[in-house]
Amino acid sequence: MVASGPASHDVNQIAAAEEQGAGAVVLKTACSDKYEHMRYWPRPRYKLLDWDKQIAGRSRHFTLYSYEQGYSGTLADYWAFVRACKENAKIPIIGSIFADVAEDWADLAVRVEQSGADAIELDISSPHRPGTLDFEHTFIAAIRAVRKAVKFPVIVKLAAGPDVLQQAVSAQECGADAVTLCNRIRGFDVDIESRRPILHGNFAGVGGPWAKYYTFRHVAEAAQHVKIPISATGGVMTGEDVIKYILLGATTVQILSVIMVNGWESVSKISEEIESYCKRHNVRSLDDIRGEALKHMTPPDNIVRWSGEPKTGPRNVLKTPPGRRT
Amino acid sequence: MTVRRGKYPGLDPLPPPFAERYPPVAIVEEDSCIACDRCPPVCFFDAIVMEGRPRHKYKRTAVILEENCTGCGLCFEACPVDAIKWIPDKAGLPGPPKLSDSVEDTDL
Repeated sequence: MVASGPASHDVNQIAAAEEQGAGAVVLKTACSDKYEHMRYWPRPRYKLLDWDKQIAGRSRHFTLYSYEQGYSGTLADYWAFVRACKENAKIPIIGSIFADVAEDWADLAVRVEQSGADAIELDISSPHRPGTLDFEHTFIAAIRAVRKAVKFPVIVKLAAGPDVLQQAVSAQECGADAVTLCNRIRGFDVDIESRRPILHGNFAGVGGPWAKYYTFRHVAEAAQHVKIPISATGGVMTGEDVIKYILLGATTVQILSVIMVNGWESVSKISEEIESYCKRHNVRSLDDIRGEALKHMTPPDNIVRWSGEPKTGPRNVLKTPPGRRT
Repeated sequence: MTVRRGKYPGLDPLPPPFAERYPPVAIVEEDSCIACDRCPPVCFFDAIVMEGRPRHKYKRTAVILEENCTGCGLCFEACPVDAIKWIPDKAGLPGPPKLSDSVEDTDL
């Protein structure tokens, strides 16, 4: 799946995603009229940090530091956009919205449903969102209101952090049909030469290949505690990363920054890598291996620690018994 | 397989005219461009192409296509000679911090 962002802002991009074999597209997030200013983007809004400077699809290391904003058109444009995407594409189209009060959330969701989208993602965790709307009050009410207002699947996109498991459980209780783990986190960077924050001068979303490690953990944790499907996203660079998410119990995997840095070809490349893995390991369907790694997780109490006797960990295996050594 | 890389091609009919709201802010200083071909593949919006200039030492130069440029800033990092510059946009927003206006201007 292509995640919500600059790769799903235009109808023609949906065609590109489809051509590359993407399974679904989450459209760029539309903001309610109250956040009209978020339809204007600062320029420049991206900076590649720690980049290995590899081009033409070979980049493996980077941090995408960005202050991306919402869909740039009006809400009326967004409905037309959803409709046009739906008409031109065979793959599922998932709308994405952001608002503050529950009525606005429900209102936007209803319009997205009427425009023909297959599902909706509630972007309650964008690293670029203004202010501090709290999960407990604003978003719980929002998820409930949206769930009540629409009939199609409601996906909740959560940000990484200590609360993510609790939030996923709450989202499930509020009637969400799936959760997306995890949005990029809010970061910050300073230029030491000019002694100023870089880019627009405030916090920005950071993501990159390194983001997968904490997302693996969040997905693994959530997969054991919630029943609804998990759409994993964060730091996917190769098909192997996708396989890892599947092994940890994710139902779908969303990618975006790899597309932005390595181009649309990444989508087909990643699916080829998944296919080759499946052939190598005789996996007929990803359902067969979904969540398999979770079964082999060692509970903290069972982790073998040093206790005086010769260790049996892989690095400490004695080649010959101590008595026979000369 | 030919692949159209991501961009907002013409942005017609949707979303509304982008160039009007967001005039391009990246510009190539053609004298500095060394025709290394790094920026065209980096641009996610297909807004940079290489054009010929037979009389110059480097036979080609990068050119920004205004209708595709969203001013995102990805290309700055790709340019090894800093030939891609940022021009302040019409909204009058300040640009990113520059070395030249750094230490002297601050109260530190």
